[in-house]
Amino acid sequence: MSIDVTGVTKTFGDFVALDNVNVSLPTGQLTALLGPSGGGKSTLLRIIAGLDTADTGTVSIEGVNATKLPPQKRNVGFVFQHYAVFKHMTVAKNVAFGLEIRKRPKDEVAARVDELLKLVHLSQFSHRLPSQLSGGQRQRMALARALAVEPTVLLLDEPFGALDAKVRKELREWLRRLHDEVAVTTVFVTHDQEEALEVADEIVVINEGRVEQVGSPDQLYDEPANDFVMGFLGEVTNLGPMTLRPHDIEVSTAPLLAGAVEGTVSRVVRIGFEVRLSVLTVDGQEVMVVLTRTHSRSLGLVEATTVWLTPATGAVVIPSMRPALVG
Amino acid sequence: MTSAILGPPADTVGEPSTGRAPRRRRSARPRNTLTPGAGLGLGIAMIWFSLLVLIPLIAIIVTAGEGGWDAYFQVLRSDQTWAAVTLTVSQAAIVTVINIVVGTIIAWVLVRDQFVGKSLLNIIIDVPFALPTIVAGLVLLSLYGPESPLGLEWANTERAVMLALAFVTLPFIVRTVQPVLEELDADVEEAAASLGATRGTIVRRIILPSLTPAIAAGAALSFARAISEYGSLVLLSGNLPFRTEVVSVRVLTFIENGNTQSAAALASVMLAVALVVIVGLDIAQRRVANRG
Repeated sequence: MSIDVTGVTKTFGDFVALDNVNVSLPTGQLTALLGPSGGGKSTLLRIIAGLDTADTGTVSIEGVNATKLPPQKRNVGFVFQHYAVFKHMTVAKNVAFGLEIRKRPKDEVAARVDELLKLVHLSQFSHRLPSQLSGGQRQRMALARALAVEPTVLLLDEPFGALDAKVRKELREWLRRLHDEVAVTTVFVTHDQEEALEVADEIVVINEGRVEQVGSPDQLYDEPANDFVMGFLGEVTNLGPMTLRPHDIEVSTAPLLAGAVEGTVSRVVRIGFEVRLSVLTVDGQEVMVVLTRTHSRSLGLVEATTVWLTPATGAVVIPSMRPALVG
Repeated sequence: MTSAILGPPADTVGEPSTGRAPRRRRSARPRNTLTPGAGLGLGIAMIWFSLLVLIPLIAIIVTAGEGGWDAYFQVLRSDQTWAAVTLTVSQAAIVTVINIVVGTIIAWVLVRDQFVGKSLLNIIIDVPFALPTIVAGLVLLSLYGPESPLGLEWANTERAVMLALAFVTLPFIVRTVQPVLEELDADVEEAAASLGATRGTIVRRIILPSLTPAIAAGAALSFARAISEYGSLVLLSGNLPFRTEVVSVRVLTFIENGNTQSAAALASVMLAVALVVIVGLDIAQRRVANRG
């Protein structure tokens, strides 16, 4: 295991940011720390990097106990949400910083900077100042700067959080390819479940200072440990005593299956190829259903249509934990 | 000079993959793009500046030149005047260097450290600046004059001049550096630390270059104020010719003797000194800030 976090607790005054967190992150993988804002995931990342210290517990990196080591000695690369560029230095100087303070020979530094700028597609910008770059370019520069010192682990704190949606999508695909290329153990923090599902080999779901579940994207999506994980990784709705995904509900206009729940369509919203239905069941429960435009049209669904709902075969279903909504 | 302490240019947001800067288009429009409102603003600024600064300055230069070059150099050739000029410029330079170091340290302490009485110190910093200068002189006289409680009888020496100048120029660098230091992002220093930089390296290569424009701006203000100081040092320095007489005292003497032309000549020299120093500091600041 590349990073072992054992029994880490961190409080800020009365606020418990991390509550006895134990997690092991494997070598060479791309791991996402996923969770809502204020859930403690950034704090965990900063403790791994040594930028914050844990109240109790230990952190070891590549088998070395790093709990008491300052950030300078941990050999981690850290990428910040707001880039943290050295404004007064050119792009090349930014990337060279870590190597220069290690007193590497000049030609070696220049060669490495060249190679890294090529890797992040910024070769033609090497003499620009960071203020002349776009947000996405700055973050790629920050990534090259962190990689320059050949860190044992690369930590990214909401790396694409400050970018607009399109650039964010491009950059996360690019990060995945980059990781496959350089294969350094990488941990990134995100609150965007789509980003985590798309990019990560493994996801650690963190909520209210605790680890809720650790697993591959498929495991988390298909076998959520609890309704928080299920709810955080995608939309959920309640059908009778069950929690399941809105697209896992079968709709029919006749009571074909035993146990089908009868209801009336109260609202139809069409977004591109998908149609979202709100169905008010005879028990007074509001169920959300998602189906394709074609499917909806073939069933002739409009408001006030009477429908029967059943969980689709193979759907992920867990018992609902919100009794208020049942019955 | 003030433009140097303004923030960084606004972020340019664009596509990450096609990062070419937008090509500048040269349109057929005239270069003057002032709207009526902006034109009014510029007009008011220019009239005010001219009435207050430009016209009086030109008047001084004209007066200084009235007697021709001979009379001009006659004033400067006087040993007493030359002594006053060297004393003023050298003491102002020493005080500015002291301020660069001490002022930056005070600003640092005020921004980065937490201690009892911090907000009080933050207010007191401005006192030397807010105090009427002659009162400042009295304050210094009571502490460093004859029968000094500290045993430092510096009255009527060069040190008195330095002390008075240091007293009145103390706030300049503190007040220019402080806001810039407050605006520095903590994550930039954290990034440098995680790249292996020690605290000393971070201060030297990351923090100081960011502060340089502010330090230079404060130093220019401090120097300009120092070479023109009068009130705070007349009491303490004793205005002894060749020893503690500064330029402003010399100028006053010329005027009191009805020698306006000499006063103007000397004033024009100090004007040139101030210009050279302000421009020099600006150039130095650009060099340091770009060095990284």
